[in-house]
Order: sequence, then C-alpha cells, then structure tokens
Amino acid sequence: MIFKQYRFEPLAQASYLLGCARAKEGVIVDPSDDLGAESYVLDAADLGLSIVGVFETHVHADYVSCARELSEMTGTPLYLHEAAKGLVKYDFTSISDGQVFDIGKVRIQALHTPGHTPEHTCYLVSDRARSDDPWFVLTGDALFVGDVGRPDLLVGDQALDVMDEATRARTQYESITRKLFSLPDYVEVFPGHYGGSTCGGVNMSGKVSSTIAFEKHFNLALRQPDAASFAQFVKDTAKPFPDNYARIKSYNLGLIAKDEIKGARA
Amino acid sequence: MTPQEVQAATREGAVVVDMRPPKPFATEHIPGAVNFQFNRADLADRADLALPRDAAYIVHAEPDPIAKVAIQILGDAGFTVKGYLEGGLKGWKAAGLATAALPLLTVDDIRQRPDDFLIVDTREGFEYRYGHIPGSTLLEWTEPWSAMAAVTDDKPLALVCGDQVRSAYVASVLLRLGKKAQLVFGGMADWTERGYPVEKTAKSVQR
Repeated sequence: MIFKQYRFEPLAQASYLLGCARAKEGVIVDPSDDLGAESYVLDAADLGLSIVGVFETHVHADYVSCARELSEMTGTPLYLHEAAKGLVKYDFTSISDGQVFDIGKVRIQALHTPGHTPEHTCYLVSDRARSDDPWFVLTGDALFVGDVGRPDLLVGDQALDVMDEATRARTQYESITRKLFSLPDYVEVFPGHYGGSTCGGVNMSGKVSSTIAFEKHFNLALRQPDAASFAQFVKDTAKPFPDNYARIKSYNLGLIAKDEIKGARA
Repeated sequence: MTPQEVQAATREGAVVVDMRPPKPFATEHIPGAVNFQFNRADLADRADLALPRDAAYIVHAEPDPIAKVAIQILGDAGFTVKGYLEGGLKGWKAAGLATAALPLLTVDDIRQRPDDFLIVDTREGFEYRYGHIPGSTLLEWTEPWSAMAAVTDDKPLALVCGDQVRSAYVASVLLRLGKKAQLVFGGMADWTERGYPVEKTAKSVQR
C-alpha cells in the first residue's frame, strides 16, 4: 500500500494519503487549505494514483480545511459522519459507524469516536495484501501521541455545538478507552495533530505516531482512573485556545465565506 | 483549449498526450490519444526517451492543475505543446465528441488462451531477460513509433510490463497506429503473484 503523512508545521497538523499501489487509487484524509487542494492532487498524480475520495475525521476548528475544494476538483465524494447532518451547510456523503471502504487491497473502517466533536470519526486501516487485521488507525483529534483532543472548542451556539464541554469530555474518555483501546496493541496511531498544536493539552508529543499499547501505558490523560478525573486532568493541562477558532470552524461548517475567516479573533 | 480546438488541432496532426493513470485511460479516452502517465520527478526524462520530438502535443490530464504543470515540464524539456484540454473528458463529452477505449485483459486471460494473442513485453531488455511470460516477445517502450508501426497484428496484441504504465503507453501508440492492441492490467506483478511460469534467458554470474 501507499501511505503518506503530510505535516503543516505552523499548526502541527497532519493530513494523510492512503491508497493501493496495485489498484492505483487513493484517498485523502483531513486535507489542509494551507497545503492546498492542488498539492494533494499533484502528489497523488506523482504516485500514479487517482484520488477516489476525501475523508474528514471531523469538522475542524483550528485550521481551514480544503476538503470541499479537493472533492470538487477531483469529482469524488466528501465523506463525513452522519452526525454532521444539519450542522454543515454543504453536501457530503454521510458515513456511519463501522462502515467499510475498500480501495483496492486497502480497507478503511469508520469508527465513530465522538468527544472532541459529535461527528468525530477515526479511520481504522488494513492492508489486505498483508493481513485482514488492522495495521494502523487515523485518530484525528480523538487520541494524540501523549495527549487527547480538547473537549472545549465550542462555537457558542447550542444548535451547532450539540454537546457541552462536560459531555464532550466524558464522551471522549469513553470513545478512547472503550473503542480505540479495544484495538490490538500493535495497531499504530497516526493523529491529526502533534507537538505544538493547540488542539490538545501540554503533554502532546512532538513524535508524529505511536501505538495503541504505548498510549494505553503512558498517555497521562488516559492513566486517570475515571471519566471525571480525566475531564479535570484535561482542563488542568489545557493550552490557550487556537487562534480564531470560532471563525475557522464557521467556515468549515459552511456558514461563512473564506475571505470572512481572517480578521476578527475569537 | 476547448474540445473543438483540440479536435481541430488533432486533425492537423497534433497528438493528445493523456497523462491520467492507465485504468481511466483504458475506460475512455480521446481517440488517437497516447497514454503517458504524469509524474513531476521523471516526466521530462521519460518523455525524452520515448516521445517523438517532431510532433506537436496537447495535454489531457485531470484535474486541470496537473495539466498546467505537465505543460511546463514538457515545454522546459523542449517539446512543442499547444495547450491542454480544459475541463477534461467531461467537457469533451459534453461537446458531443466521440471517445475510444483500450480493451483490458487479465493475466488469467492470456494464461488460459495463450494462442489467442501475441504477447508483447514492453519492459527494458534486462527485465525481459531476467524473467518473462513464455512465448512473449520484447518490444521496449522506448522504441521509436516507426518500430511499433512495423509490428504485425495477425492476432490481437496483449501488452505487458511490470504493472501497466509502460504497456499502456505502447498499447495506446499501437491503437493510434491502427493496430489491434489490448492491455494486460496488472502485468508481471499479477503474473508472478499467481505463480505462473516465467522463462529466463539471462544467467546470473557464476561465483
């Protein structure tokens, strides 16, 4: 299989290309507008791949997504979890928990992991040319290396936020401990952010991948004994809010135009 | 260029160079187009090895940003490029213009019916010598188009390479030249994965 992690260093944000070298098809996960839709298209072409889909783990609040442009440019579906229905103001192809996508020999399974946001979804990947068993998981803003995605990036509109901070914290804890931590220990973790990102707390590692077992053993937030102490720990170790997050989130929801993002800070 | 401009230019001899991957090309392409896959790293070098210098080219790549980069690369490499097909195949079909297809074969097809085809291996000579499909003949992808025009096609030609990038290029040139060409999708990778026999004409050095 073909697997690439793209890093936009100023925001410590990671996006991904995964595809099948034999079927010559690939998908992009969490594309960044700072890198730009064209850069993904050219890179996939360099690898001889046709882009057949664009996946979002969730509607992002700290960086501008180019998923809509990329989907339009390539004429392929934009996939987002069904919980985003009614929240985003543009068309997308709705996916549900457990849904499977086969890209040649590469299998992608959606794991709904609400918490950071209600629609948040991780993508579990196997390369069936080697094994049907999962190899790695794209954890978006659920599980980071050394930390977790913060539960407090709210727009301030109940209809869009759906879950309050306390509910998000508890749900995040359950999504990670029940769902992600039930994956085999050897499964690799590839997060949506690393190091300097303000989407997680002060314990985020600069390392850009990990394993389920390592995070089970050494992720301080997840070493907490229960959901309540997890929520308190995440609050105590939070970083300042990401720049301009409410307006970036509004753009990614399709509520405002791109040229309205800049300027006012949240 | 609009679809009409592209069509007019091809009637004056311009060659459409289709830079999409082989599968979409095989499914549907502009009649007469040559399949030459895009890649920023070595497009100029591969074009220099294979594409005739005396032709004028029109790029077809999708989406458009790839076409713009391809024009730059081919132009810098000294090729005459008239432009690119704006809006790709969608625009071409919307203009009511015809398309062509390249028939696909699997390695099982040629394994089961070897006598129905002339199997043509388009890899480099050294690759061919280290293991090829029994009965296949070598026609390196870098051969001039005049050599490809001389290939006899009493039987349909089944084009093979490592996977299907070089073979799709040769198949598309043969189609353009009016030959009966078909593409073996998956190539030697699928053939060897199935454990089908290979014939070796090269011997490794005795130590």
